[in-house]
Amino acid sequence: MTTPDTVTDTSTLLAAKVNVPQHVVYRSFPSETVVLNLQTGKYHGLNATAGRMLEALERAACVREAAVALSESYERTQELVEQDLCELCRALLERGLIEADGGPQP
Amino acid sequence: MAAPSPDPRGVAACLSHAAAETTNIGGRLSHAERLRLAVEILSAYARARRALRRAPIGDAVADLRSRSQSAPRFAGSTPATLDEARRLGRAVTRLLALLPGDTRCLARSLVLTRLLARRGIPAKLVIGARAGPEFLAHAWVEHAGDPVLVPGDESFGRLVEL
Repeated sequence: MTTPDTVTDTSTLLAAKVNVPQHVVYRSFPSETVVLNLQTGKYHGLNATAGRMLEALERAACVREAAVALSESYERTQELVEQDLCELCRALLERGLIEADGGPQP
Repeated sequence: MAAPSPDPRGVAACLSHAAAETTNIGGRLSHAERLRLAVEILSAYARARRALRRAPIGDAVADLRSRSQSAPRFAGSTPATLDEARRLGRAVTRLLALLPGDTRCLARSLVLTRLLARRGIPAKLVIGARAGPEFLAHAWVEHAGDPVLVPGDESFGRLVEL
């Protein structure tokens, strides 16, 4: 499994598959996505764009694939979306809200 | 969500009132049974607080259920079990509202979860939230899909059932 420490490398993160662990539940509302970490009891809020990114990350085989899909729907360059996705992933990994598996091992 | 009141006279009065609210399926409770119920609620509250300090919410709920010593008395859902669950819910709400500390929806739900488990009444603890106009989280208990404690309104989305 890829840990927050090992995913500072962007290329590693882009190749990783993102999963939402069992102890994390989330629900999308029109204005934001509410994420609850059942292990810590903490609620987190994602804006609408970040919530959509999280859903795309969970569906895609890897972060790069999610970036491709999002870049098409948002009409942004893939590089820009990849940068935003990696930033989001790192923030979520730090909070234990996602896990990243399957990336190249260091 | 009712604000807790530390008034000891209020607690004493509520012990009696809460117990009076909770008649058994078979009929009214005796004075001793009322007292036992009040003690059971307070004991469950203390146990729930300990469980939450020691473990995540899911484990705490499992712990409160697994430590039930009474054999299940009710196999499923009937109007009688729903009525009993709601009576217990009212008793828990009234009593905990007068205690100091955090006795809001999650505490009430955990306590009621234990009481229902001890009676073999199946129940789910539901956690929901709403994003706007301001963020709010809420917990309640359902028996066979029917709310036993006050549920979140239509603005709340269900996050998890435990």
